[in-house]
Amino acid sequence: MWLPPLVLTVAVLGYPLLVAPARGVLVIGLAALVLCALGLVVRSGALVTAGGVLALGQYALALWLAAAPPRLAGAVLFGVGLVLLVETADFSRRVRGATLGPGLVASQVRYWVGFAGLAGAAALVAAGLATAASAVVRLPWAPAFAAGGAVAALVAVTIALRRRQIP
Amino acid sequence: MTPRLTPLALSVVSLAASGLVLAIFTGRPELIVAVVPLVFGLFRRRFLASSDWQIARGLSADQAFEGEHVVVTITVSAEGNVPTLELFEPLPPSLRLVAGSNRGFFTLTRDQSVKWTYEVECRRRGRASLGVVHARLWDRAGLHAVESAARASGPLRVYPRRIQLRRLPRPRRTQTSVGNYVASSVGQGIEPGDIREFAPGDRIRHVNWRASLRFRKLFVTQYHQERNADVILMLDTLSEAGAAPETTLDASVRAAASLAGAYLARKDRVGLIEYGGPFRWVRPGSGRGQRERLLEALLRAEVVFSYVRGDVGLVPRRVLPPQALVIAISPLVDPHFEKAVVDLAARGFDLVILSPSPIPLVRRTMPASPSVDLACRLWALERRARAASLQRLGLRVLEWDPRQPLELALAVFNPVRRRMMG
Repeated sequence: MWLPPLVLTVAVLGYPLLVAPARGVLVIGLAALVLCALGLVVRSGALVTAGGVLALGQYALALWLAAAPPRLAGAVLFGVGLVLLVETADFSRRVRGATLGPGLVASQVRYWVGFAGLAGAAALVAAGLATAASAVVRLPWAPAFAAGGAVAALVAVTIALRRRQIP
Repeated sequence: MTPRLTPLALSVVSLAASGLVLAIFTGRPELIVAVVPLVFGLFRRRFLASSDWQIARGLSADQAFEGEHVVVTITVSAEGNVPTLELFEPLPPSLRLVAGSNRGFFTLTRDQSVKWTYEVECRRRGRASLGVVHARLWDRAGLHAVESAARASGPLRVYPRRIQLRRLPRPRRTQTSVGNYVASSVGQGIEPGDIREFAPGDRIRHVNWRASLRFRKLFVTQYHQERNADVILMLDTLSEAGAAPETTLDASVRAAASLAGAYLARKDRVGLIEYGGPFRWVRPGSGRGQRERLLEALLRAEVVFSYVRGDVGLVPRRVLPPQALVIAISPLVDPHFEKAVVDLAARGFDLVILSPSPIPLVRRTMPASPSVDLACRLWALERRARAASLQRLGLRVLEWDPRQPLELALAVFNPVRRRMMG
């Protein structure tokens, strides 16, 4: 079960290189690849997450270097790929060395395919709503919205940390 | 049961937060869009019911000997849809997984049942309790989980491994019941003993025709009686040395089970005294039922520390018959057992000490070094001196290296005994 997350890692880390084939992007991508591969080998979710954060940094750098008009379809694919990467890595970590019941992998793959479609559609809808909202909301307010979203995400992290977790 | 967040949820939240922070710094909307699928996954929380499934366990055998394999089959059935069910069955130290896995993942639809099998090796005697199966019910994404446990009875009794024995310590005295030992007294039997003149009432088929023709008088052949014996196995459970499943007590229990089986096959009556913290015994008896009783008693044999020391003088006569052969099985680590054995010998019991040596068992648990070698040599010298002092009291100590066959240690017994008796 290590192959799907590895393929997704390569795909997610390869996309920013298509956006901006620069040396810095490549270096960050390689570092992220090492972290993800190490996380898959030693079955560490934290390493895969760190690799994912680096992948986001790599994508951000590529977008900043390219300075091109927004490519929302590519961003949706990148986001879906990133979610599937952490989910497949976690699934392969959980089931390693265990007996797999009949139909488990097939049903899981069906779920991921359905989830990718739904999440992609949701991202496109959100992007459409944001585009529509941008006509109403003044442009200087956009960073304030983003900052608000970031604060909300951080609050969610804090709440998640306070709740008792399953190891 | 409340679903709880898993570490994956924290990973997703961290990634989303990172994406948002980077979006602010770079001012790129693509990063916000890329974060949307991450956040979307978090909000797809599903209700996880923990009582929609049941398990039932089956074992290929409920009794096994050490070293044998047992197949465990668990049937999981569901009344409703179960997205992902993780089951884990912790194995007791006496069992070792040899095939399959004791952890399984299943997905079940309504009224579906699946079978899950794995194979274990019974490493050490005892009652292995396969009782609780831990379960974790995951949602499909792996972001939320519910933990529970299910009880499915699966008692497994692991008996000590038996070693085939052909030579056994021969009892000095026999009992009145029929057995396999040729007694000195004459009577019914098949072993010719003596001849005497014919007397009225003698059976014609006992007439010794060769002697009758030579002496011109009728002579009959007398036969030695064939009797059984009482054998008491005295197990030292005061102390043990080595690491499980190869401790001196494990070796002693295997030796006791083998000796009991071999003596019972010879129609002898065999009893057991467990000399340790709790003083336990099994009255002498014969047959298959007695074998089961002895094996059951040997299952529970373990070292239990106690300040109370039993006195063999308190053992009832019906448990320790005066004519019995007593085989004391002890690593001779605790002086209290030596004292008890000397006490028995002083009371006239026919006594043999079978001593599984703790030295090789302890040595294998320690890294090799010159100091360990020296300590083991000194220990061996001390054991030899102790055995010599017991031999001076008229006791015979059979030193047994548990890595070697038991028969090798017993083989030296009977020639020595004949010499002692002669």
